[in-house]
Amino acid sequence: MVNYNLLSALLSLPVVGIFLSWIMPKTSQRIYAIFGSLVILAVSIYIALQAGDTPWDVKLVWLPELGLSLNLKWDSVSRWFVILNSLVAVLAFSLRGPWYRKNSRLFTALGFFLMFALNAAFLSNDVILFYLAYEAVFIPMIFMVGIWGSNAKATSVFRFFLMSFFGSVLMLVSMFALIYLFKEQSGQYSSSLPDLIQAASVKNGQALHWCFLGFFLAFAIKVPVFPFHGWLKEVYVNAPMPATLWMSAILSKLGVFGFLRFVLPIFPGLALENQGWILALSAVSILYAAFLAIRANSPKELLAYSSISHLGFVMLGVFSLSSGGASSAILLSIGHTLVSAMLFYGLHLVEERKDVSDLSVSHGLARVYPVLFTFMFIAVLGAVALPGTMNFVGEFLSLLHAFSASVPSVVVGALGVVLGAVYMLKFYQQLGFGEASGDQTVKDLGVYDIAVLSVLVLILIYFGFQPMLLLKGNG
Amino acid sequence: MIPELQPWMLLIVAMIVFTIGLLGVIVRKNLLIMLMSIELMLNSVNLCFVAFSRIHHLVEGDLTALFVMTVAAAESAVGLGLVIALFRTLRTVDSDQIQMLRD
Amino acid sequence: MILSLLILFPAVGFLINGLLHLMAVNSKRKISANVSGFIATAAMVASFGVALYQFLLLRNIPAEGRIFEQTLFNWISLGKLQLDFTLRLDSLSAVFCLVITGVGSLIHLYSIGYMHDDETPAKYFSYLNLFCFMMLNLVLGATLPHVFLGWEGVGLASYLLIGYWYRDLEKVAAGQKAFIMNRIGDLAFLLAMFLAFRATGTLDLLQLQKIGLEPALVLPFGLLIFFACTGKSAQIPLFTWLPDAMAGPTPVSALIHAATMVTSGIYLLTRLSSVISSSETVLMVIAMTGAVTVFLSALMACAQTDIKKVLAYSTISQLGFMFLGCGVGAFDAGVFHVMTHAFFKALLFLGAGSVIHALHGEQDIFKMGGLMKKLPITSWTFIMGWAAILGLPPFSGFFSKDEIIYQSLTSPHGSVSFFILAVAAAFLTAFYMTRLLVLVFFGPSRVDAKVAAKIHESPMLMAAPLIVLSILALVGGWLGAPVHVGAETTTESHAIEYAVMGGSVVMALIGAFIAHKKYGQTSKAEKVNSFLLNGMKWDSFYLCTFGTGTQKIATGINTFFEEMIVQRLIRWSAVAVDLSGNILKIAQSGSAQGYLAMMAIAIFAILAWVIYGVGQYGKL
Repeated sequence: MVNYNLLSALLSLPVVGIFLSWIMPKTSQRIYAIFGSLVILAVSIYIALQAGDTPWDVKLVWLPELGLSLNLKWDSVSRWFVILNSLVAVLAFSLRGPWYRKNSRLFTALGFFLMFALNAAFLSNDVILFYLAYEAVFIPMIFMVGIWGSNAKATSVFRFFLMSFFGSVLMLVSMFALIYLFKEQSGQYSSSLPDLIQAASVKNGQALHWCFLGFFLAFAIKVPVFPFHGWLKEVYVNAPMPATLWMSAILSKLGVFGFLRFVLPIFPGLALENQGWILALSAVSILYAAFLAIRANSPKELLAYSSISHLGFVMLGVFSLSSGGASSAILLSIGHTLVSAMLFYGLHLVEERKDVSDLSVSHGLARVYPVLFTFMFIAVLGAVALPGTMNFVGEFLSLLHAFSASVPSVVVGALGVVLGAVYMLKFYQQLGFGEASGDQTVKDLGVYDIAVLSVLVLILIYFGFQPMLLLKGNG
Repeated sequence: MIPELQPWMLLIVAMIVFTIGLLGVIVRKNLLIMLMSIELMLNSVNLCFVAFSRIHHLVEGDLTALFVMTVAAAESAVGLGLVIALFRTLRTVDSDQIQMLRD
Repeated sequence: MILSLLILFPAVGFLINGLLHLMAVNSKRKISANVSGFIATAAMVASFGVALYQFLLLRNIPAEGRIFEQTLFNWISLGKLQLDFTLRLDSLSAVFCLVITGVGSLIHLYSIGYMHDDETPAKYFSYLNLFCFMMLNLVLGATLPHVFLGWEGVGLASYLLIGYWYRDLEKVAAGQKAFIMNRIGDLAFLLAMFLAFRATGTLDLLQLQKIGLEPALVLPFGLLIFFACTGKSAQIPLFTWLPDAMAGPTPVSALIHAATMVTSGIYLLTRLSSVISSSETVLMVIAMTGAVTVFLSALMACAQTDIKKVLAYSTISQLGFMFLGCGVGAFDAGVFHVMTHAFFKALLFLGAGSVIHALHGEQDIFKMGGLMKKLPITSWTFIMGWAAILGLPPFSGFFSKDEIIYQSLTSPHGSVSFFILAVAAAFLTAFYMTRLLVLVFFGPSRVDAKVAAKIHESPMLMAAPLIVLSILALVGGWLGAPVHVGAETTTESHAIEYAVMGGSVVMALIGAFIAHKKYGQTSKAEKVNSFLLNGMKWDSFYLCTFGTGTQKIATGINTFFEEMIVQRLIRWSAVAVDLSGNILKIAQSGSAQGYLAMMAIAIFAILAWVIYGVGQYGKL
């Protein structure tokens, strides 16, 4: 019961956060939001310490007639995503901007709602609960882009919604098919994951294939994998920075999590059958996005494509279909979350100081803001997966495991290592190097930003040398 | 010879009146006429009540008819009030001009 | 247990200097070069002390067990893959450690003088220490990923130091080029690791040597490793970054781009020699690449006008000698040349730095001349370096270079063509080095009058390392000679050996003489061959093909795929949804009567269906 209370606290605390945001004064919303997300972060870390290596599995019956229950699972797959969710929220809430000037209460409430939905998605061990949470994630995102986004926001929101919704509806249909399958076999409705895994393991045939495709499409759009990435650029570029940070750092992991939690356990045979083309697709995704990143003209666009490229490596790890590959995909996901959070956080700090939307000229800011650019450089090193950072371990292990599955995919994908260096260095040197122009009156980083970024850097490097601490309890 | 009034004839009349009322509501554009058509429909239902209570030898039908008449009076008062309010704001009682449901 | 101190000292130096730098810039103050230089140099000297101590301990152990190992922590353990973060010192890494920390200390010391007027010396010294830390990891790492950590780490330090003066975008571009070309090599390194792990299940270097690879895999593995080495060690085809890397401060060129980092390719090949040398093809490719690089880059060096670029091409050429040595199976000779080359090339670079420092940044050798009298220490030490690189006895280069030339002819993997290329390169080396020497230090002065008045000998901090290195360039050969050279030569081959030695020395002298004749009295700039000056246009070729190729592919993908298909698909689907919405919108007219009519129709339809259906089937 203690377990249940703790886990449900992860869901209830953000809800409390939503309501409190309406009570808190408008002007101190930022401090309140940071504090609130820190509390939730502390709770998730406390759970991690309490649980240790043993998975927690709690169940609360919700609507027994329909087989719905509140199935929550805390294990080696979900725990890092839950913790990262709160960490990312702290970072996103820390960004100063128009969202704290106009409708600041709404922004905080949306942020907490997003935390709630993501926690529910990451903790759920039940397909319907997962689907509800998965869809709920859109709501705050759409509002954020719609209210604080830049010029072309309406189109981008529309595309984002359309593309994601397309995938998730197919997933919903697949879920119903699986539930029906279980009903056929056992005579009762259940949407809990273990039941469905059991149902799918008995049955095979064409229908299951379609179910697999439904799930695959939904998550492939979410990650995104080439060629389902079309929505991403517009949304990233037009979204306000906190939303971009959230999307790149943690929403994209929803797809990875979906593959690890649902697709691989439910369809182990089909995943193996389709492994070849999925690995190839991931490799193409790495290269394709890398090339687009090379020619990107704005820093946000470049980082958007680099995100796709890096997640291609994660996909290689996931679909190496070995336990080691899954672990390395989780490692790389954590690394990518930290690095992309750092990059967007840093980019926001840069943009607060100077307009850098044009990447074809060099801005020469490194000399003006040396501390900020030191952190940026470390983030760039993480993004190119330099050994010593967590990303190296994740990328290396993902490729290593995928290598035993498909040599050509790894060879093609590994080219992304070179191209990654090309665009990340371009990103850094166009912002940092050269002669600075214009007035530089704004000061370098303040104490708070230095503290936040230092913590991230320490995590990034510490786990670059001790990555196994993150994988304790993984089979 | 004039045939004796049979209950099923009442039902036929009720059906015809109801159809007239329904068509009136759908087709006519004047809100007042529409209101009157609604009254027609209500009254045809009343007629049904009375007819069925005769067929089944029950008294509840007659009673319900009385209730409906009371409610209809109240309803037509509210309806007329609404029509007047609408006319005050929109200066028209043409239902084609009133499409606020769309937006 | 002391082994970890070896890498700890530079790491601590890096952190202290790095934090000092950040604190200083944050409060708009300046850390003096003396302070940060002292910290960094002290870290390196301490590290050198440890290395020396370990080396002496190692010598006392019988040859079979000459390995020290220290496991610091478990790095990665995932399924079959068990990687400890282990430092392993054997005689090969000991030689490298001594060179890195020894020459490194001297160059740190020299830098204090050289970077005295720099804006951010703490940053510079932290980078230098970072480099040494990474380089030590490279040579001490017990597993391939650990070596890779160092391998990429030195690339990073090299990038940072080449683009150290980052306000100049050309220097930044040079750094970027170095990093990316190195990364191309690193890609091969990664693939080689995957291959080895898949075949053997281990990435530990000792175990890999013990298990070996099955014959079919030796060829791809060897070629991948070799390709990785061509990136780091600037061999054909990935050599073009090294001349550009001269954009960095001169001590950096001495340390990273001459003495240590660029030799890590030789280290890796030697480390894996037992695995790869079972394939004749791999060895032949290595030797051929080495021989061609030796010759071509020596040719390019003859046409350079920038003092550092001459030395850069010369470094490529000397690295080619080392690869040639490895390729003909004489890995010991290659490593020996790494050591002697570290001494004399660092000396030459530091000498060049001293000249540049004296001339306030002038690097064109046709604007020098007659510096002998004004810079006596620099000149004399430079001459020692010149003699060493020419391979004149008894200087160090003589022992190592002639060993390689000799092996290229007589070793079972050698051939006459390798020998001819090597001797021709020795001749060219003598030519361009003598050209450099006489143009800079002898003959009439072509220095600008304004600069000429201010020429001064370098301070003691810079001169002392020059003197120490020149002594090492003189006696360095004797250190290694008894260990490496002639250990396996039998008596009857001595005759050939002496003949080869004599021959190459004579060739060198002829080259030197011709250069002296040609350039002894030059008073104005020579018109050089632009094809050779630009490194035989390799660079522009790469730029045309891969450089613009990448851009073209990127633009092509963007216009023809991303915009035309992916984005359009989304736009169309958006339009389709919009359209269907518009069609359905007609029904939502907003007229209550319309809704009512629809409702009535629907009700009638349902009623009809119910009634008709009941009639048809008798039940609902």
